[in-house]
Amino acid sequence: MTRSDCAITRGHVTSNELLRGRLLDELTRRQLPSGGWATSTTSKQAALETACLAALALGLRSDAAHRVQDFLLRVQNPNGSWPAFVGDDPDGGWVTSLALIALRDYVPGIPARLRGFHWLLKFAGKESNWLWKWKFRTTDRHVRFDPDKYGWPWFPDTVSWVVPTGFAILALNQVPCSCGDLGQTPHRVKLGIEMLIDRACPSGGWNAGNGVVYGAPLSPHLDDTAIALLALSGKKEVPPIQRAVQWLENPAQGLRAPWSVAWTILALAAHRRPVESQLACLRSLPDLFAVEDTSTLAVMCLALDYRDTLSAFGVAI
Amino acid sequence: MSVTRRDLLVGGVGLVAGASVAVPFLLPKYHFDRRPKRSRVAILNVDQYSPKLENILQAALQLFPIDVASKTVVLKPNLVDYLPGDAINTHPSLVLAAAECFRRLGAKSVLVAEGPGHQRDMQLVLSQSGYEDCLRSGRIRFVDLNRAELVRTRLRASYTGMKQLWLSRTVLEADFLVSMPKVKAHHWSGVTLSMKNMFGIVPGMRYGWPKNILHWRGIQQSILDVCATVPINFVIADGIVAMEGNGPVSGTPRQLGKIVLSNDPVAADATCARLMGFEPNRVPHIREASRFLGNSSDAAIDHAGERLIPPEIPFEVVPDWRYLHYSE
Repeated sequence: MTRSDCAITRGHVTSNELLRGRLLDELTRRQLPSGGWATSTTSKQAALETACLAALALGLRSDAAHRVQDFLLRVQNPNGSWPAFVGDDPDGGWVTSLALIALRDYVPGIPARLRGFHWLLKFAGKESNWLWKWKFRTTDRHVRFDPDKYGWPWFPDTVSWVVPTGFAILALNQVPCSCGDLGQTPHRVKLGIEMLIDRACPSGGWNAGNGVVYGAPLSPHLDDTAIALLALSGKKEVPPIQRAVQWLENPAQGLRAPWSVAWTILALAAHRRPVESQLACLRSLPDLFAVEDTSTLAVMCLALDYRDTLSAFGVAI
Repeated sequence: MSVTRRDLLVGGVGLVAGASVAVPFLLPKYHFDRRPKRSRVAILNVDQYSPKLENILQAALQLFPIDVASKTVVLKPNLVDYLPGDAINTHPSLVLAAAECFRRLGAKSVLVAEGPGHQRDMQLVLSQSGYEDCLRSGRIRFVDLNRAELVRTRLRASYTGMKQLWLSRTVLEADFLVSMPKVKAHHWSGVTLSMKNMFGIVPGMRYGWPKNILHWRGIQQSILDVCATVPINFVIADGIVAMEGNGPVSGTPRQLGKIVLSNDPVAADATCARLMGFEPNRVPHIREASRFLGNSSDAAIDHAGERLIPPEIPFEVVPDWRYLHYSE
């Protein structure tokens, strides 16, 4: 890295590495004594999404990383899932997928991961049940989707949505063996992929999971699209996926949202598209170190080191 | 015919079983009556969003006995997403005007709080909807209710059957909560006004994006449970440009030219529904809320502003809700 690469001009850091280093410092500074992270600087309630994204950003190397891995093992629910935040009810939810990815290389976490994988395979959208499938086929048809293709909900007792399904596919792609119940993994992953493709917006990309409601096509969202594309990185030739990549490459002018820009970088890199302009966009955003949302801080770190991040997500580039 | 002791026993057991099934349906699902004797509503004729809003609002707030001196005021707008040209969000200039007015009335602090139902990127919604610039210019703090600190909260009504929800400390500790809905038709709930607007206080971090559990437990029922648990102190409804048809996102903007203020959310929603050309008591959550949360009958409402004149052409709605129209 040259001296000019490291320059900080008009408050903007011009090197990915330097920016990432400073963001990691800020991330570490925000770590709670418990080893977790709160969603924002104004809260002390450790949130699992934030902790998992921070754990991925830190990798395995630092003391902070070891503390968050221990934290993740401590807060796992008895049923094998993870809660949304410390103190939550013990039912578990979508963050289980993120915790499984965050603990991927942590040897003491192997038994916890196996219990988590078993829970994740039992966790399914309500439309997986024949009764609700029948309801969505007959009396409740205002949202266009195929209930035979189901994935994962955010929390128990609700239907499948794009983001939890995307992360569940990424997590299950890392299942270490096919013994016992884990043998269902390929079937669930296949159904999840079919569900994502079914729920795509007509114009390309994804939103939370409602592509057409009451006959009206809805608009895609950058982050939802990016997370779906990460999970579908092995299916580059499928037309809805190609449309989504094209849509993601042409974001709105004047985009000033680091969370969406960072997820976009990861998805485009996973689909072997150039990301230099998006990285430049991220670097040019003002006040990045003051971003109140700590999950956003972590995702920016992940995007600036996208090759290692994609490797952690099990995505080959 | 002789009745044996065995017959009596079987009959008695059947009666108890029947009663235990039926009674929960017959008992009221609310545990208190918060209705004021009289409610006050002010309808303001306002044609456009402009810098004059602050003065208009300031004058209108004086029609109400509001005491926010040294209190924390939380403004809860309806901030859903951003689609160019669509009237889906409470206009930021109205929120900014309200913040300035409550400051002038002596509020200790005024903050804006919202948790969009589908969009996870709050920063994106704020920047693209124009809120970011307004919040910065007004030096107003914003709280993302989808990711704020949560408190386990016992529900104060039992329409959904849920005993509790995790809700944001910011909202629970507010001294004065102002619901600032966009006046819209809604394909799932008929209308989305000050009470439906409260879905935004339910955190995505705990219930997902969208907050699907509220749909599964019944949208009308969830509105009632949430509004019973977290009282709305005041309503400022943005009906300058409203939405009809397939709301809350895919509907058509409609120039209504009204702002509706009220110290009673049920009265506010009933008045907005009338302004949309709907019979308010045909909206299930307004009808039920009028039994314990506020007044929907126009006879119990004092109109402090303009006269309530229903539109010649009512708001369009999706076919399932056409019975809301007076003429149906």
